[in-house]
Amino acid sequence: MSNSHGDTIPLHPSSQSDIDEIENLINASVQSGPATVLPARPPSPPRASIPVSPSPFIQSKIPPPPPQSASSNQKVPSVAAAPPPPPPSVGNSSSIAASGFGPAPNTLTEPVWDTVKRDLSRIVSNLKLVVFPNPYREDPGKALRDWDLWGPFFFIVFLGLTLSWSASVKKSEVFAVAFALLAAGAVILTLNVLLLGGHIIFFQSLSLLGYCLFPLDIGALICMLKDNVIVKMVVVGVTLAWSSWAAYPFMSSAVNPRRKALALYPVFLMYVSVGFLIIAIN
Amino acid sequence: MDLSQPVEENYANPKTCFFHVFFKASALAFYMLSTLFADSFVIIFVVTVVLAALDFWVVKNVSGRILVGLRWWNEIEEQGESIWRFECLDHESLARINQKDSSLFWWTLYLNAVVWAIFGIFSMVRLEVDYLLVVGVCFSLAIANIIGFTKCRKDARNKIQAFASRTIASSFSSTLQSAFSLV
Repeated sequence: MSNSHGDTIPLHPSSQSDIDEIENLINASVQSGPATVLPARPPSPPRASIPVSPSPFIQSKIPPPPPQSASSNQKVPSVAAAPPPPPPSVGNSSSIAASGFGPAPNTLTEPVWDTVKRDLSRIVSNLKLVVFPNPYREDPGKALRDWDLWGPFFFIVFLGLTLSWSASVKKSEVFAVAFALLAAGAVILTLNVLLLGGHIIFFQSLSLLGYCLFPLDIGALICMLKDNVIVKMVVVGVTLAWSSWAAYPFMSSAVNPRRKALALYPVFLMYVSVGFLIIAIN
Repeated sequence: MDLSQPVEENYANPKTCFFHVFFKASALAFYMLSTLFADSFVIIFVVTVVLAALDFWVVKNVSGRILVGLRWWNEIEEQGESIWRFECLDHESLARINQKDSSLFWWTLYLNAVVWAIFGIFSMVRLEVDYLLVVGVCFSLAIANIIGFTKCRKDARNKIQAFASRTIASSFSSTLQSAFSLV
C-alpha cells in the first residue's frame, strides 16, 4: 500500500530500538566479546534488511535465528512468531491465509483480488471435502480442519432466497423463517452434540452443517424451476438423503457410539423440516 | 515518500481507512434508509447482512493488518483442539504505526457496535422481530471483530512486555557474568 515503500529504508543504527541501544552500550563497556551478549540480542539486524513493511511478518517464516528467542516464544503459547510449518499445499497455506495472509512476503501488498481468490478456493475445497463422495477422504472426523463460515453463509442465504422466491405470498416471512431456522438450528445441533459429551469444535460444526446444506440448495433450486409435486418430492427425497449422508460421518465420529442416534436424529430432523418447507412452498 | 509529516500526521493508508469505514457506514446507512430503497424485507436483510459480512472480512483481513498491524485467526490442531492465534508486528514497527490510522480503526470499530446495539434496542422496543434478526447478525459480526482484535492487542502488549523484561533480565545476567569475569 502507500506506506510499504517507505519501509524499504533499512533501519539506521541510530534508529534502533532502545533495547538495542542498551545492549550496544553494554557491549561497548564490557571487555568480553559479543559472544555472551549474543543470545540476548533480538534479531533486529536481519529484520532491518527486509525491504517492505511485511518484514515483521516475514520474520515468522524465517527459521528461528537465535535459539533462545524461539524457546522463549514457546513459553507464550499464542505467539505465532515461531515459524508455522511450511504450507505443503494450497489448502494448508490458506488456513494461515484465513485472514488473507498466506506466503508472508507478498500478502501485505497483494491485491485484494488475490485474497478473495484464495478464500474462494478454500470454500470450494471445503465443499468438495464435505459434500461430494470422495474415496480419498481422510478420517471424516477431521474433515473441515480449516473451517470457514463463508460457505455456510452463502448457502443459507441462497436457500432463503430460493424459498422466498418460490413463495407467492409472505415472501419476507418465508425468508426470515428459513434463515432463522437454519442458523438457530445449526447452533442448537452443535450444542446438542456438546451436551452429549461429544468432542467437536463449535465453529467447525457450524461450518459443516452449513456446507451440508448444499444438496438442499440444489433441490430447492430445482423445485423452484419445476413445480410438479411428484418431482418435488423425489428431488427433495434425494437431496435430503445426500445431505444426511454428508453430515453423518462427522457427527457420528464426534460422540460416544452409544449416543450416535441421539446426535444424528436432530440433524436428520432439521433437514427433513427444511425439505418439507421446500415441498410445501408454492 | 509516505504521507506522514513529521509534525502533523496524515493518514498513512487513506484507501484502507476509506474501505474500513465504507462498508460499516453503508451497512448502517442502508439499514436506516431501507424504507426509502426497497419495501421488501428480504432485500433489506440480504443487502445489509452482505455488507456487514464484507465489512467483517475487510476489517479482519485487510485493515487490521495494515492499520494496526494485528492479525488473529483460528486453527485446529491435529488432535482436534481449536487454538486461537494472535500475531502482531514487532515492537519497532508497532511504534511506527500511524496514530491517526490506529485511532480511526479502534474508534470506528467500537462506534459501529454501539450503533448496532442502539438499533437493536429500537427494534426490540417496537417488537419488530424481523429487523431484530438483521441487527443481531450485524451486531454479532461487529462484536466478533472487537473481541478478536482486543485479545490480539492485549496479547501483543504481553508479548512486548515479556520480550522486554526477558531481554533486560538476560542483559542484566550477562552484565553480571561479565562483571564476575572481570573480577
